[in-house]
Amino acid sequence: MEHIFGRDHYRVIALIARIADISPEEAGQVTTAWKRTSPADRAKAWTELVRTTTETERYQILAAASLARREALAAAHRMQRMDWAFWAAASDAAAAVAAGPEIGNPYQTLTAPLATVMPSLAGRQAPADTSAADVTTAGRGGARTRKSASTP
Amino acid sequence: MNNPIRELSDAFPDAVVIVDSQGKTIAANAQAASLFGYNERELTNMPVKALFPGQLLTVPRQRSGREDTGRYFEVVGTRSDSTRFPAVAAWMPVLVDHFVAAVLTIRVIAESQSAQFVLSRGLETLIWEGQDRQALLRYLIRAREEERARIAADIHDDAIQVISAASLRAQQLGLQLRDPIARQVLGKLQETLNLSLDRLRQLIFDLRPPDLESGRLAAALRAYLEEMRSDSGIVYKLNDKMTAQAPDPVALLIYRNVREALTNVRKHARARTVTVELLDIEDGCLARVVDDGVGYDPAEVEARPGHLGLVLIKERAELAGGWCRIESCPGAGTTVEFWVPLAESFAEPGAGRGRAG
Repeated sequence: MEHIFGRDHYRVIALIARIADISPEEAGQVTTAWKRTSPADRAKAWTELVRTTTETERYQILAAASLARREALAAAHRMQRMDWAFWAAASDAAAAVAAGPEIGNPYQTLTAPLATVMPSLAGRQAPADTSAADVTTAGRGGARTRKSASTP
Repeated sequence: MNNPIRELSDAFPDAVVIVDSQGKTIAANAQAASLFGYNERELTNMPVKALFPGQLLTVPRQRSGREDTGRYFEVVGTRSDSTRFPAVAAWMPVLVDHFVAAVLTIRVIAESQSAQFVLSRGLETLIWEGQDRQALLRYLIRAREEERARIAADIHDDAIQVISAASLRAQQLGLQLRDPIARQVLGKLQETLNLSLDRLRQLIFDLRPPDLESGRLAAALRAYLEEMRSDSGIVYKLNDKMTAQAPDPVALLIYRNVREALTNVRKHARARTVTVELLDIEDGCLARVVDDGVGYDPAEVEARPGHLGLVLIKERAELAGGWCRIESCPGAGTTVEFWVPLAESFAEPGAGRGRAG
């Protein structure tokens, strides 16, 4: 599964598996939290994700986001609670988990809404040095250089 | 066979078969006998290939330290009753009584592991096919732009010139005609020629909006929104908060994507208002198209083919190194937002050429 969802594939799969168990009340919490996040911050976080990753990693991030979105959409149907903020939140969180917490602030921004019902997502803090100018992390295909993960 | 090796192989949890350089079994442990359904004596001298019919098994002939020894590979074993089972196996050359033999370790794949293999291979195939589909779409997007540019140039350089020349000649002819009926017919002919010219110029405008050529993305979008308002009555709001100017190819991509989203609003949304926003985000442009229409159920719409417009919006944004989100649900309108970097990280064919109109 690593080549599909990246090096954090276990966490991605765990997240996707957990979506099916979300209760209607929890879905409401996630939706509220997602709507509270500034759209500009979310856009910046996504932009950071695509700018700091290789094409292969981007494919893995999008695969994780897409599958999580589908699971959340199916869960929303089961709960008869159709609000697209819910599956958007699941998609955001899965993308951030696939990218890894090294991305810093975007990780927090994108996982925060789902983390209201999956506290383990918030447990993975960004490394302290992500505010530095450059952070080099070992990606699946070798080392990759990431720009600052901070958002202006 | 010396006893230490025999004792060692019997202590293994996996099936172990010791093979000579000719590929014949010298010895097998109890686990191998049980797995293949033979007794240990029956297994002795049996060609190892008989246990894995139809599969290429190369017996290592020396202790070469080759990388492929000691590594597991997938095989399908065949029992004495001809039933088959999936397994993984690994070769390891050993020195037995002063000659080199090879130890073949066989581990049966449990049903769940087997299913995981199948699933994993299925997913790999899907990924390859997904990548092929993406490459094809990208090729189509490029081809479409090239074709648009070519058609616009052809219309300008050929059809418009020819019709303009015909119109001029008709005017000259009009000066010589005295018969009022003939002059009336010629007048109609000139009207028709002028109408054709107008239509061709409109077509060029649609293919390559002139405002885009002068770097005015918002003006080009406003022109389209205005046309949409007068055709369909959908009220629009355009918030252009971009301070940076997008290079031509990027502006063309943003224009195409917003226009595609607006075409969907026009055709399907039954919206009363639509808001288009252009924002500066992280050295790129975030474009957002939000309508207050009937929305749709993504589970239903995305499951059926034929929503190529939405796919193209997404692919164009990703091709440019950006991202895209298209969300909706019944009764909640539709939101299309995408971000593309302003630096030209892609080649939009045809962009940047001289305007044809």
